[in-house]
Amino acid sequence: MFEKVAPFLLVLSALQAGTCITCHPKEARDVRHSLHFTLQKALTITHHAWSIEGNVTLQTLPHPPKTIKKVTDLVDDFLRRKCLRCHLPPQDENSCLACHHPHPPKVHFARAKATMDKCLACHNKEYIGTDFLGWFPKDYDRSYRAPLSPQGTYPPVKYGIDYHHLAPDVHYEAGLTCTDCHTRLHPKAKTLSCKACHPHPSSSNHPAYHKRIACIACHASWQINSYELSLFRDDTAHYKQWRRLTLQEDPWLRTFLQKALHSPTPPPPRMPDFIDGTLHKGIWYSGYRFRRWEDFYLAVDRRDGKIKLYRPLYQYRISYRDANGSVVFDDVHTLAGRPIAVWLPYAPHTIGKQAKSCEMCHDNPLLLPAKSTGTVLDLKHPARSDLLWQARMLDAKERAKLHSQRYRKIRAKMLIRRLQMVPSPQGR
Amino acid sequence: MRDAFRPLMIPILLFLLSLYLFAKTPDGCITCHRNTTPIDAYHPYKEFGCASCHGGDKNTRSKELAHRGIVLHPAHIQHAKIFCAKCHKSIIDRIQHSIMYDMHGVYDVLRYQFKETSTIRPSHGVYAKMDESNLTLAQSHFRKMCAACHIDQNESIFPKGYAPRGGGCVDCHRISQAKWQGSKLLHPRLSTRIPSSNCLKCHNRSDRIGLAYFGKFESEGYGTPYHHGQLSHKIEKNRYYYPLPADIHHTKAKLDCIDCHTERGVMGDGKYHEHMEGAEDISCIDCHAPRLHDAMHYPLAAKLAAINAKIPLPTGKIAITHKKGTPLYNVQLRSGKVTLFRKRDGKAFFITPSSRRPYHTLAIHKRLACTACHSSWTPSCYGCHEVYLDSGRQLDWISKKRTPGQWQELRSFLRWEHPTLGIGYNKKIMPFAPGCQVIATIFHGRKVQKRFVSMAMAGWDPHTTQKKARSCQDCHFDPASLGLGRGILHIEKGRIAFAPFYDSRASGMPFSYPIDAFETPEGHQLQSTSRTYARSFNAKELTKILQAYTCILCHTGYNDPIYRDFTRSKKLFLRGMTPCLKK
Repeated sequence: MFEKVAPFLLVLSALQAGTCITCHPKEARDVRHSLHFTLQKALTITHHAWSIEGNVTLQTLPHPPKTIKKVTDLVDDFLRRKCLRCHLPPQDENSCLACHHPHPPKVHFARAKATMDKCLACHNKEYIGTDFLGWFPKDYDRSYRAPLSPQGTYPPVKYGIDYHHLAPDVHYEAGLTCTDCHTRLHPKAKTLSCKACHPHPSSSNHPAYHKRIACIACHASWQINSYELSLFRDDTAHYKQWRRLTLQEDPWLRTFLQKALHSPTPPPPRMPDFIDGTLHKGIWYSGYRFRRWEDFYLAVDRRDGKIKLYRPLYQYRISYRDANGSVVFDDVHTLAGRPIAVWLPYAPHTIGKQAKSCEMCHDNPLLLPAKSTGTVLDLKHPARSDLLWQARMLDAKERAKLHSQRYRKIRAKMLIRRLQMVPSPQGR
Repeated sequence: MRDAFRPLMIPILLFLLSLYLFAKTPDGCITCHRNTTPIDAYHPYKEFGCASCHGGDKNTRSKELAHRGIVLHPAHIQHAKIFCAKCHKSIIDRIQHSIMYDMHGVYDVLRYQFKETSTIRPSHGVYAKMDESNLTLAQSHFRKMCAACHIDQNESIFPKGYAPRGGGCVDCHRISQAKWQGSKLLHPRLSTRIPSSNCLKCHNRSDRIGLAYFGKFESEGYGTPYHHGQLSHKIEKNRYYYPLPADIHHTKAKLDCIDCHTERGVMGDGKYHEHMEGAEDISCIDCHAPRLHDAMHYPLAAKLAAINAKIPLPTGKIAITHKKGTPLYNVQLRSGKVTLFRKRDGKAFFITPSSRRPYHTLAIHKRLACTACHSSWTPSCYGCHEVYLDSGRQLDWISKKRTPGQWQELRSFLRWEHPTLGIGYNKKIMPFAPGCQVIATIFHGRKVQKRFVSMAMAGWDPHTTQKKARSCQDCHFDPASLGLGRGILHIEKGRIAFAPFYDSRASGMPFSYPIDAFETPEGHQLQSTSRTYARSFNAKELTKILQAYTCILCHTGYNDPIYRDFTRSKKLFLRGMTPCLKK
């Protein structure tokens, strides 16, 4: 019985005791410098993709102008009303509870520890978090709501998303949770590196010629690559075309569309600014071209010279229709000739028992210089080097190494040994 | 005895002459319907009259009497048997045996996949005798989901948003629609120069050849990017595409379906064939390594070229299909070069002969179909989640009525990359894709009555031919190509091991192997096929492919001498008589 009512008691006692800040003034101050609070990286990089340079934080993010004149006028509106569902409430003094569990004053501190479900409430979708459990978001169309359960019900929706289940991370299977590695998030984030737990990887499997390669590049088994994100802000009440696409990984939009499509008096097209809670005209819709879990792209991080995984986050295409029904921006995907896109370094939390095969990198066609084909194949490579965030493409010399004589010889010998087809005078 | 007939000879001749003259005179219909546009050069209604095709009484001036018994759509097969068959009897006979007439190929495979038969037996004509009050699940599925497409379908039953199909002969041969312009009737025009758009009315689903050839991939349904405030790249209702490399025959020469597909392959050879590949006449080599014969032995070729009217009459040598010996009247030897004339307009294209370089001539790859290497992608739709609701109602495409029972199809995910290879219906290695992976849930009211799983893979020519073949590694080491699925392939202790990405069980499927796996790393086949010889690679083949890969790593080109007699080279290697591992 106590187990059942305990959470309520905890919340009650926390509320009675007042706010977290009463006892934790330092932490409450510290958290204001954490990325969880400022979201500086995500916002600055998104601005960069839209050719707006300079640091920006949740606290300094401008309001969009009343009338949209330039494409870049849309970015802050898009961030405020589409992306920033996930952020710490800046005013609320109990914002600690976004990650921590409440506890009664002076006791049960251990209960306050952030648990995985708290993290996953935001770290889902194609972002790192739910991938640790092996979850890959399904496509939006309602025909992907499969398979039906033995009882005939649709698959569950978690965090507004229906997921495929792929191979989970080995650390998850071993019972580890987020905070086992991400030990501290404020005042400064602290994450255990792979080396901290695995200081001596076997030298036979980790030869010197691979020393420039980040651990994750080989050991992440799959990843979430979403190619081309089309965004559409529609200030008109054209809801019908979305009737098969209500599950856009946006729980607010799903509820809205269900109402808009089935109510005899559909609501006007208004969506909240998730920072200040005010409603504004226009609904943001989104859709990808396609998504893959087996693709990956390698590039050289300019900061440490290491070869890491990169993925597009995102390749944007933007449309905007104003309240009069005129399409102000129709599928804009470049600004001054530069694609509105950015490829980011990526550490998929999908470590498998088995590292990637040599061929997956050495024969990865995506690493070859891309020739434009005018088809969606072009989306799988960054169109130009400056779309990579603080990184560069593999150069000609590095690419040549992928197919060097040395590689071929070493790989052939390795496979011959493993296939047990080593020559002997008797032969076979 | 002969003398007894002599007095009758003159009246008989006069009677025959009068018949001939009467038949030559346009019938009475023309009196009213003189304002009608021509059909084509070969059906001049001013000569034939209307009644020879449409029936009715041509000898009366009363509209009512004249129209008694006329047929508006004489091309429907039941009418064509009477009207068209006057001249085209052999074709009308042949077409009734073809798969496009009754879809028996689809029906048979469907019953097999739904486990209502244990073997695939041709059931031509059987579905017409189905007990409509007591349909099996496969029959219900066939009638409600598949039977929309067959050449004798009734065009008028297609709801808005769908291209009408059917109409009999005109399903393919009509190139313009009937239309009234005041009192003038624009009669549908008929042609043997069939535009690909006519084929695409039907051939855009299932294996999606008609889309793939033109570089369209039926997409995940996002309808992106948004154009003019709408979803874009629409195929038809609820279906969208995105661009992928089109078939080289389209990009280079804009060839239509009929430039390769013969009338015999399409309308049939008069025999029942269980499947498309039996009916099919052509193969890549018919053009790229042609059998050339004297055109004079093939009067049909001259006739078809004349009817086409754009293609020069074959005088010298023409190509003959390898399979059925059908003359390809548009593939002719012209000044020493094999030339293809495009049927639409007669434009000439020199055909690149299949190269005699080692990659085509060596024995190592003699089991490969051309498509194994030259098909660059294959539309692959994983998971065909069939949902049957007995409480719903849906149009039955055969009875043309909305009847109880409703089917819905859901799916898992799509891919086009790294087409899976396996042994095809012709015992050759060819690309495979899901076909179909049935995961069915049958409802009785709101309760699940039955669930069943019937997973199958199918091989076909995806019509995504490119000049550049797939890389050696793509077939010899990529796990998706090998049929293991998407994941990580590795070798340990003489064993092929595979760490799949997809977790079917956790994703809610009632089976544990990855949904994209055709076989296990041990070579055990996981999914069935609907063809006798079609199967996945077995353990021996997987080992051979991977063993060869160890050679490919260093011996990168087909010109390398080890491939001349690969069996011997391998033997020498295994005996330690090659310098391979010396350094």
